[in-house]
Amino acid sequence: MISLVRSEVLKIRSTQVWFWMMLLAIAFTALATIGAVVDSVNNYRDGGLVDYYDVFTRSGSASVALLVLGLLGLTTEFRHKTITPTLLATPNRWRLLAGKAVSYGVFAGVYAVICVVVNFAIAITWLSAEGVPLEYGHGVLGGVLKAFAALVLTGMFGLGLGALLRNQAASMVFGIVYFFVLDTLLNYVTGVRKGYAYTPGGALKAFTSNGRVGGMPHDVHLLSPAVGGLLFLLWALALLAVGGRLSLRRDIS
Amino acid sequence: MTESEQRVDGPARQSPDGRIVVDDLTKVFGSQRAVDRLSFTVEPGSVTGFLGPNGAGKTTTLRMLLGLVKPTSGRATVNGVRYESLPRPLQTVGAALEASSFHPAHTGRQHLRIYCAAAGLPARRADEVLDLVGLGDAAKKKTKGYSMGMRQRLALAAALLGDPKVLILDEPANGLDPEGIRWLRGFFRHLAGEGRTVLVSSHQLAEVQEFADRAVILNRGKLIRAGSLGELSAGTAVVVVRGPALGPLQQALAAAGFSGSTEPDGCLRVRSDQLGRIGNLAFSNNVELHELRLEEFDLEQLFFSLTDGEHRGADLGPAPGGYVRNAVPTGPGGSR
Repeated sequence: MISLVRSEVLKIRSTQVWFWMMLLAIAFTALATIGAVVDSVNNYRDGGLVDYYDVFTRSGSASVALLVLGLLGLTTEFRHKTITPTLLATPNRWRLLAGKAVSYGVFAGVYAVICVVVNFAIAITWLSAEGVPLEYGHGVLGGVLKAFAALVLTGMFGLGLGALLRNQAASMVFGIVYFFVLDTLLNYVTGVRKGYAYTPGGALKAFTSNGRVGGMPHDVHLLSPAVGGLLFLLWALALLAVGGRLSLRRDIS
Repeated sequence: MTESEQRVDGPARQSPDGRIVVDDLTKVFGSQRAVDRLSFTVEPGSVTGFLGPNGAGKTTTLRMLLGLVKPTSGRATVNGVRYESLPRPLQTVGAALEASSFHPAHTGRQHLRIYCAAAGLPARRADEVLDLVGLGDAAKKKTKGYSMGMRQRLALAAALLGDPKVLILDEPANGLDPEGIRWLRGFFRHLAGEGRTVLVSSHQLAEVQEFADRAVILNRGKLIRAGSLGELSAGTAVVVVRGPALGPLQQALAAAGFSGSTEPDGCLRVRSDQLGRIGNLAFSNNVELHELRLEEFDLEQLFFSLTDGEHRGADLGPAPGGYVRNAVPTGPGGSR
């Protein structure tokens, strides 16, 4: 398994995609953090409370970059037909999928650490400069860990979605449209929105929240963070399992 | 060698090191039987041509052998075990299936190093095999800039990474220039000389004849012949006779039990390798000859004869001379 993970990490590092995805992750984190810090500073000046949880968990905004990175994990193999030499080197397809999941988990972990560092660097520097006192209570540290885990799980989710759809363009379009458009629409469609909490987007939102999620319709109730995290993990594993069964077990011809 | 003789009678796991066994292998895609109850063996220390026209089922068979396509029924093994169960696959079998399985942004070296890592091989092995196939100078070049010939060489380099005992190559000469093809022939002979098993698929039968010891000939998913080139050529000899008036000789040949055909240009093609006897018949019948020669064995012509010429002029290319299965009954001087 160590050889397999080394090979997969080498595959990711051998193209520039990882670099552009990292820049994207940093950009999303930076923009989201700046937005949260500006709100907090304004609130503080107006005598309001600073939402430290919101400020210090904005690394989670980089999830789209991790989603795309994960999506490319298997779809690139099918697009460039490198799945053939890959399976010649690792004929056991479940082992290959497990190796990819571990590799992308490791890579996503590195991304997540960088995003957390960027988030903290911007927030601490800016808040300090504005004279806002820094506090890490109120579940902030737990929130940071959850944001970290959410990024890793999103990478896995992308890998599973790519395994399921195989086509690179289709999976990219579907993944991005789902998280940016469908996820929001599902909140508002009558008859569907009561099930929103159980969708991947709803589960992820519940996991990364501190129990207070604004902007949701009154009859949409998210799961608790722990259950949401568990459900999102199950979604990622289910996609990997179903994708592995439907795609990797097919004939490679 | 008959088909029944090529079947595996004993347990496949008794196969010696480097032996490929295909046993009653079948693959059905929808309503099409791409491979139909195919059985043959490939022995170590030889180059075996896996031959047939496009669509004959060669690539599907190789992919089943390599665990990429699941057989509908039957079994294909290397060293007595399925490819998926080999403990160190790249160190046991080297395969080059298509010269397009590269990420365009990877250099040749990066491509190989990825599979070195997967197989637990040192990264320097990538440079060694690149030098071996003559791509050392292109190691840092991205594969999107590789010519077809360079891609073929890179695929071959990937197959050689684990220094395997068995090599399985699908149409490796495609895209190679004449010099590359000559190099490939010598390379195959060198590998077989080291005791390796080399299985090379091709639709260019005449080309394979240049380097193969044995051939497995496939048509429409079925085995039509397999054996050493010597075995395959047995009974296929043809003596070509030319002259201004061959009528008396033709009658003498028929009386002596020879069979053959008359070409449109009047030349006789006699199914026999008895050059001296035919010359003697011409002499004793006072027939003037302008040409009397034994035609060399030609895999391509053998293939046409075995498939009743159904592929002639198609993807196998035109056959010079043409081998006509004659209506004259086979006599004692004939063959087959």
